[in-house]
Amino acid sequence: MRIETDSLEKRFGGVVALDDVTLDFPAGSVTAIIGPNGAGKTTLFNVMAGFLKPDSGSVFLVPSGDGEGASHKIDILGLPPYKIARQGIGVLFQNVRIFNKLTALENVAVGAKDQPGENPLNLLFRPGVVASREKEVLEKSRYYLGYVGLADKAHLWAEQLSYGQQKLIAIARLLAGDAKVLLLDEPTSGVHPDMIENLLGLIQQLAGTDGRAVIMIEHNLNVVRRVGDWVYLMAGGRIEVFGKPEEVLRDTRLLELFPTL
Amino acid sequence: MVCLYSLLGLTLNLIVGYGGMLSLCHGAFYGIGAYASTLLMTNLGWPYVPSFLASLVICGVIAYLIAIPSIRFHGDFFVLATLAFQFIAFAILYNWTSLTRGAFGISGIPRPFVGEWQVSSPWAFFALALILALLVGILIWRLSHSPYGRALQAIRDDELAAESLGKNVNRFKRSAFTLAGMLAATAGVFFAGYTSYIDPTSFTLDESVFILCVVIIGGAGNLRGPIVGAVILVLLPELLRFLKIPDAVAPNARQVIYGLLLVLMMRFRPQGISGKYAFD
Repeated sequence: MRIETDSLEKRFGGVVALDDVTLDFPAGSVTAIIGPNGAGKTTLFNVMAGFLKPDSGSVFLVPSGDGEGASHKIDILGLPPYKIARQGIGVLFQNVRIFNKLTALENVAVGAKDQPGENPLNLLFRPGVVASREKEVLEKSRYYLGYVGLADKAHLWAEQLSYGQQKLIAIARLLAGDAKVLLLDEPTSGVHPDMIENLLGLIQQLAGTDGRAVIMIEHNLNVVRRVGDWVYLMAGGRIEVFGKPEEVLRDTRLLELFPTL
Repeated sequence: MVCLYSLLGLTLNLIVGYGGMLSLCHGAFYGIGAYASTLLMTNLGWPYVPSFLASLVICGVIAYLIAIPSIRFHGDFFVLATLAFQFIAFAILYNWTSLTRGAFGISGIPRPFVGEWQVSSPWAFFALALILALLVGILIWRLSHSPYGRALQAIRDDELAAESLGKNVNRFKRSAFTLAGMLAATAGVFFAGYTSYIDPTSFTLDESVFILCVVIIGGAGNLRGPIVGAVILVLLPELLRFLKIPDAVAPNARQVIYGLLLVLMMRFRPQGISGKYAFD
């Protein structure tokens, strides 16, 4: 599955946050979005995740496999965020937004979709269905907790874990929900340098093995060089440069637009 | 009384402790439950058990209707919305005299009965209260230790994140509010049968605040907390009696102690005596 946007526009009063943004984020690769503060990167994420409505333009999910084309596109604009999430889009927030008072395992289990046990009526009248699905959910959650390397932390409260570990939990809970498009907002910010390498390996694996579309906002150009397959350079709400990391990072416009580098 | 307030505390905890929404109208649902069952029995001559169940349904429906607008508010504004409902409910109970007899209250409420068998001795009432508290406790335990409770707590900890994981946040909040209101009715029905007299002054804002204190002092977010809170707050006045404080001072002393207790708890142990979750 991949995601594409078509001429998105968004203004906040006089400030143009998105200006004719047409993008395509292919499945199976890591696409990085770089740009100075206020370039519209986070606005773009918020529009794709449904937290913000653009003034105009559209966002489509395109399922992979046979018969890809306009007829199969799913228009997700205007859907509430929880419905967009159910379509397979997952967000890693810049400030993690972990569930502090739940254990690591519970955090991941919350991410799982289609849980009959979330309906109180099912709890009372269909306990068997609830129990068998819950068993699957916990198994899957343990699997993904192990996948991000935190199997031994399953029963600790999320707030007891380090910031980097919390980011891993947040990724695991997206995976438990079968997210096919991952929007990562500065995944390495605030993470201890020792853990960054580990995290980057994971990000590459997410795109590589299961063909997810991974899109990340990143300020650290070393990270972009290391894991990015494609790079968009954004400034003033516009997409200025697109290409392979080595091309974009050599582009003369980079320093002009991104003087704080 | 400990059982009664445990019951109220446990049900309120579903909203406050698991849902993270501070509600000041639990006393209203308690009262509506008491009035609904009483009126069905005295006016329509219904037996005890059907009127008990009907009052649960009535409270559930009212709670659902109240939840629709109020959960759109967050934080302090939600508290204000529930406060408004508390006042409206009291005003209706007080002023709809043709139905509720207003300030005169309703006396001669039948004791709980099933067929020929009637609950009348204090021990039988105690047993009934214990059974009700146990049943509701089990139900709340089932709800909280399930994917439902997990999602509700996730919403409490971070609403936006829960929504971004595909949870229909409003639906969870609505159902928690509805269930809590519905189950508060059990306490109301029991109370009416126990005292055989009810009037609106039993279901004021003070009552709602008291139930909230039970949850907050005992501890929110698990099952132990409200029970601990109920034991402490219900037994505290008895303890004062034991200390032989003059009658004129005792009620005021009690208020002072409640206030002091709340302030101290907020300062030194915001999660309550045995709670899991603290309000910011």
